[in-house]
Amino acid sequence: MMIPLLMAVHAAEDDTSLVARMQRRDPNALAELYDRYGRVTFSLIVRVVRDAGIAEDLVQETFLRVWNRVHGFDAQKGSIGPWLLAVARNRAIDYLRSAAGRQRQSREFEETDLPALYCDMEKDILSSHKARRVKSAVEKLSPNQRHVIELAYFEGLSQTEIAERMGQPLGTVKTWVRAALKNLRDELGAVVPA
Amino acid sequence: MNCNELREHYELYAIGVAEEPERSEIRAHLNRQCEVCMQGIKRAREVVALLGGTVPPAVPSAALRRRILASVAVEQRRFGWAPFLAAAFAMALFAAVYFGGRERDLANELARVREQNSRQTIELTAVNQAFAILTGADTTVTTFGEGQANPKGKVFVSPSQGVLLIAGNLQPAPPGKAYEMWIVKSGKAKAAGMFQSAPDGSAMHMQRGSVENTDAVAVTLENQAGADQPTSTPLFAAPIRALIQ
Ligand SMILES: [Zn+2]
Repeated sequence: MMIPLLMAVHAAEDDTSLVARMQRRDPNALAELYDRYGRVTFSLIVRVVRDAGIAEDLVQETFLRVWNRVHGFDAQKGSIGPWLLAVARNRAIDYLRSAAGRQRQSREFEETDLPALYCDMEKDILSSHKARRVKSAVEKLSPNQRHVIELAYFEGLSQTEIAERMGQPLGTVKTWVRAALKNLRDELGAVVPA
Repeated sequence: MNCNELREHYELYAIGVAEEPERSEIRAHLNRQCEVCMQGIKRAREVVALLGGTVPPAVPSAALRRRILASVAVEQRRFGWAPFLAAAFAMALFAAVYFGGRERDLANELARVREQNSRQTIELTAVNQAFAILTGADTTVTTFGEGQANPKGKVFVSPSQGVLLIAGNLQPAPPGKAYEMWIVKSGKAKAAGMFQSAPDGSAMHMQRGSVENTDAVAVTLENQAGADQPTSTPLFAAPIRALIQ
């Protein structure tokens, strides 16, 4: 059962000043970032790599990467949480793929060249209220829809790889993926205003 | 392709399963700051980011927080420690590097420094970690660049605890540039943190964490933001594995 872990995460109301302090290289700001998002980052990475020791290494890489690249972030707009989670997910999936001997995908572009793209997110996107909405939206998906989304999100599989893994035709998988994403978009429309 | 044709692919892109040619097309639109696509991708990313918050909760060890803060403290300032502490430590380190490599003396000096300073939590963590690497049962020491004008120094590798690099004659990086350490294993380089050298050309850098089967430790000059793979010829590379075998 999925528990909305983000309920434990404080509303990110002062992320803006946190980002500004990180940009001024204030190590205490990193400590606060860790206190705010360390658990959710670790939880996400453990879910992907399923090994606590490896997950801790990857959490460290994640925070260092964000620390080293925070200059590209717009502190006036920013909620840093979603960016941090994207970096965490990419680190974890890269690890998973290299451990499995699969080709690494070039995710760096999305995550590091354009951190600005994470900036407009609503400040409380990681709030408990939303976590509950997301949980219920995911639970409303059909089992196949949920499965393809999990394989894509937590294992970083391509649609072709998902088809292989599930032993289903690629066309069927593509239909499920699209339907799942559409359902999530519709369900979360109120959560994530345009 | 125009934005309208890409609209249906924003979420696929955000979750990482977009296919060609849409994937490259979306990238191209983002690269040229296409307002429509940027808005669409932001929104798609919000949906995807929310998925990350639905995982079962897990708790990392308390040591992880210290480890992360310490690694930044080391990268952040020259040594990451209070100036007097850095001075004492640096003197011991460089003595060891330049005057005969007595790691044992170095460890003793470090132990003394450590005892003297119990207030600076983060800084002390860095000292403790450096100490742990220096004195690890599995630690190997590699000297590089001896007898040359080029960078020279020592690399301490503890497979279980991390890498400590001490270098001299490493001229300060040009503006916008920084040094990046690499841990080379099976022909692949893994980024191991950025650092700067001091005006006198000395530098120290530590990377915590398991570094099993390291073949070599290398340093390149990179843009300050760091690179995921080396983009220039290493200034030096210290072979590790050969030494162990
Ligand atoms: Zn566009």
